[in-house]
Amino acid sequence: MDAIALTDVSKSYGNVLAVDGLNLAVEAGRTVALLGPNGAGKSTSINMMLGLIRPGGGRVEILGGSPEAAVARGEVGAMLQSGELIGELTVRELVDFVRRLYPEPLGLDEILRVADLTELARRRADKLSGGQAQRVRFALAIAGAPKLLVLDEPTAAMDVESRLRFWKSIREYAAEGRTVLFATHYLEEADENSDRVIVITRGRVVADGTAAQIKAGIGDHVVRFTLGGQPVAGLDGLPGVSAAEISQDVATLRTADPDATVAALYRGTSLEIRDLRIIGADLEDAFLALTREP
Amino acid sequence: MPNYVKIEILRMLRNRRYIIFVVGFPVVFYLIFSGIWGAQTDSGGVRAAVVLMVSMAAYGAIAACLMSTAVPWAQERQSGWLRQLQVTPLPGWAIIVTKLIASLLLVLPSMVLVCLAAVLTQGVRLPVGEWLVLIPALWIGAVPFAALGLLLGSLLPADAAQSAAMISTFGLAILGGLWFPVEIMPEAMQSVVHAMPSFSYADIGQHLVAGGAAPPSAVLTVVAWAAVLGTAAVFAYRRALARA
Repeated sequence: MDAIALTDVSKSYGNVLAVDGLNLAVEAGRTVALLGPNGAGKSTSINMMLGLIRPGGGRVEILGGSPEAAVARGEVGAMLQSGELIGELTVRELVDFVRRLYPEPLGLDEILRVADLTELARRRADKLSGGQAQRVRFALAIAGAPKLLVLDEPTAAMDVESRLRFWKSIREYAAEGRTVLFATHYLEEADENSDRVIVITRGRVVADGTAAQIKAGIGDHVVRFTLGGQPVAGLDGLPGVSAAEISQDVATLRTADPDATVAALYRGTSLEIRDLRIIGADLEDAFLALTREP
Repeated sequence: MPNYVKIEILRMLRNRRYIIFVVGFPVVFYLIFSGIWGAQTDSGGVRAAVVLMVSMAAYGAIAACLMSTAVPWAQERQSGWLRQLQVTPLPGWAIIVTKLIASLLLVLPSMVLVCLAAVLTQGVRLPVGEWLVLIPALWIGAVPFAALGLLLGSLLPADAAQSAAMISTFGLAILGGLWFPVEIMPEAMQSVVHAMPSFSYADIGQHLVAGGAAPPSAVLTVVAWAAVLGTAAVFAYRRALARA
């Protein structure tokens, strides 16, 4: 049984199509990143998985049933994109309140430890920094020991160090065989913290696989060198090259086989090559290529 | 759910606005008014200290109901706390029921303080039987005001809910004759006054402390308002909770 299964799901607001025939399935036990630029339909999709928004069309199944049923059984925990806490209550009171709403919650001290809140337990929620409040919202999301944890841009308000500690907490939680789905528009985050990346843009899945597969799908390396005003033609005919571009004396070749391309450049042409660089595709390139407007 | 009621109460008791406006004001008003007029007696022979005790307890209850429901509820809807609760197993109806219970419990501090002030500063003495009817009557009678607060909180954004709760509290207090005797109002206003839930609500209390029974028409008015506002509150609440 898949933890999440979306079949032909769509949702529009007025005449804006936020989600457009989305199909995705997430097996139980995986940590999956939902990667996409702002406005790609990530939050709308997540809110439909949580039963907060009804899909306009298609079917959403969570842990084998409707999202509402999974939430009511206490099998889902979520950290939504925004949400203030109750300022008058302490961290400990908030976490304890939410964990008691679940049938089989984690222990209070364990939640506080995992979310790195033990020291802040007695602090009132209105005295927390943005990053601290995020950690409390994470604690609320895991409080009920949900089988499926959904996080919508969880590190938005965090600095680099809190971000690292935060992902450590999530990995610790996911290691118990739970399913985690997180939305992000940070590429490294998707790369480093998930075992599968689903790229969506304009409400559709445009790529789906491990970070490495997605990079490989784009595949190309870039070979770049300075021409210095030499006349040139036929660069796009070199072995492996799929596209060649010359601007301001710099030639940029996109190639599937950088070794062959470079060899041919030196042996097969009489060009004087300077400043040669070979740049590997990273997820950023892949992401930009996938989400570029058509 | 007892746990939820507990944190709702805890947060209000830590809220300075609640403590000042809801718990503090009615007692302070009582001390001032009864200090001036407390010794007078009305046509029925009831001391003003007793009449004022009922009026201020009623005012405190109305303020407590409106303040502890409308504003926090509107804020929770806006700030995303409601959504946080919606992704937990807590059923939707439990939220409104909890808010109702909590607001009724939050009525008690000001009511008890006003009565205590009457007993201690004005030497008000009622037969035990009358206390035992008066307090529950004033307590249960506060239901329409809690419903009004939840209605406002469901319909309005937080800052508007704040103003609406203030205006409703003062409007109900003045038009219900809680701050000034109804008799000094112009003739035309009298029928408005008699239709107000706050008038009938306090009127029940006044009859009880005068040693009589609650007038059926006043009880009917409060029940009718409770039904109307309660129904409206449930509808508005369902709309506020509805999934887009």
